[in-house]
Amino acid sequence: MEILLIGVLLLSGLAFGALGSHLFGVPRVVGYILVGMLFAPGLLGGQLGMHDTQWTQPLVSVALGVIAYVIGGAISPSQLHRLGWSIVGATLGEVSGAFLVVVGAVLLLGMTVVDLPLWSFALVLGALAPATAPAAIVAVVHQYRACGPLTNTLLGMVAIDDALGILIFALVMAIVGSGSLGGALGTAFWEIGAALLVGWGSGFLIERLSRCFHEQSMLLPLLLGGILLTVGLAAWAEFSALLAAMVLGFSVRWFCGPHAERLFEPIEDLEETVFVLFFTFAGLHFAPSAVIDYWPLMLTYFVARAMGLFVGGGSGARLAGAPRAIWSNIGFGLFPQGGVAIGLALLLLNYPTFSQAGEIIVNLIATTTLLTESVGAISVRYGLRRAGEFCQNTPKGKTAQ
Amino acid sequence: MKIADWLEGHTVTGVTVERDASLEEAARAMLGEPECRDIYVTDAERRVVGHLGFRRLAGVLLSAHRPTQSRRQLLERVARGPVREFMDQRFISARLDEYVHDVLHKYMERRIEDIPVLDGDSRLVGIIRLVDLVRAAIEPSDQSFD
Repeated sequence: MEILLIGVLLLSGLAFGALGSHLFGVPRVVGYILVGMLFAPGLLGGQLGMHDTQWTQPLVSVALGVIAYVIGGAISPSQLHRLGWSIVGATLGEVSGAFLVVVGAVLLLGMTVVDLPLWSFALVLGALAPATAPAAIVAVVHQYRACGPLTNTLLGMVAIDDALGILIFALVMAIVGSGSLGGALGTAFWEIGAALLVGWGSGFLIERLSRCFHEQSMLLPLLLGGILLTVGLAAWAEFSALLAAMVLGFSVRWFCGPHAERLFEPIEDLEETVFVLFFTFAGLHFAPSAVIDYWPLMLTYFVARAMGLFVGGGSGARLAGAPRAIWSNIGFGLFPQGGVAIGLALLLLNYPTFSQAGEIIVNLIATTTLLTESVGAISVRYGLRRAGEFCQNTPKGKTAQ
Repeated sequence: MKIADWLEGHTVTGVTVERDASLEEAARAMLGEPECRDIYVTDAERRVVGHLGFRRLAGVLLSAHRPTQSRRQLLERVARGPVREFMDQRFISARLDEYVHDVLHKYMERRIEDIPVLDGDSRLVGIIRLVDLVRAAIEPSDQSFD
């Protein structure tokens, strides 16, 4: 029955998402989440024999491995060097700003879930904050044919900030999972060290094996096999699967050198499928009581994240020597949050410590994603217009959101 | 027929650019030879070190017009490098002393349209085009490559 439900979720999610976007101009993710809610175990899912959502967890782990591989392979060292200090500095400021402000705000609010220490809860929410949604930002840039230094900085930042977000998430989970500072150091050393070693080694093997296959159709099973092997090894040996998959992507790109797109295009094509699954799965977990009981937390997360991105991104850009047009407007472009954050929140449900808190966090991220995807597009548009980077005033038709 | 003999009757000038050239320079070189769809990237000694296809080149130069872009494509757009970062280093090539019917298999296996012919020092001496081979196969008046 799980396979039947996955098929139903994918098809009806796509249909609802496209219809909602076309008829009402709302982001597609609204349709995806609504479909998930409709097929929750308490509603139609129960009729299909699905009485819990445990079956989604292996899929979430593999799907996040796919996304981490794509994120890790997005950049090469020479590109990082060419991006320039202003983009790298602004990204470091944005990521650390979002993390620190959210952690601080949650600690100040003092709201947590039973059996989970406040600092663990705050650290995990902080680790989810830096992730952005490049697709929503690219859609606005394309719609208004935006061009200029702010546009370039923004696109460069959203292409690399998820990598830093995943790194922070992996570190936080290593610390939170161990319980004590001494244990945290040992756990973090193993989780990160083993992930780097296995990801790097697997990347070398996959790239060498790929040289034996000239047909593009043969590369997809090779790459998927490599990702599954890495994620499976991580689950078995208890190191960070996310970090290992990200290092796998980076090392495949590193060992391949130029013309690496053939080792990423087949996997990149899966990204939208993965995001449809993430959002519909988040819908399966929807609990109105969580939204009602924890609305102050959701509001705090939303406002603190926005402030952290704005202040951190702007300060980072200014300190790195970016012109005023960039540092005073960059924060407006970073609000959209999407599939990566939802995927990371769903991953928390794999951890026994987060069985209850994970449900709250999935609901929190799903709710704030709806807000950031809607308000975020307006905010991106405002920032680009304020910087005078709209090369065309009239929108070029509706674009995917 | 040996490739050296085939090239005497089918002279095709290949487009080459140096590995540090920009993509815009590569595009200009290609547009100067409208029949060519491939660029061969050379080092300072004019040895061929890579291949860049037209679709790849166009895809990067026109990337700003795509409504959706992966993170990798975003970085190619924002931090674009010279042609050496886009070329395929493991491209197919042929040698002057090989037989034409032997390179046919390479065409079929890789689904490509042009094969560069290199001399002993890896310098470009000509191009074998699939279209010329097909013409020779179906036109009795044309030169056969058997």
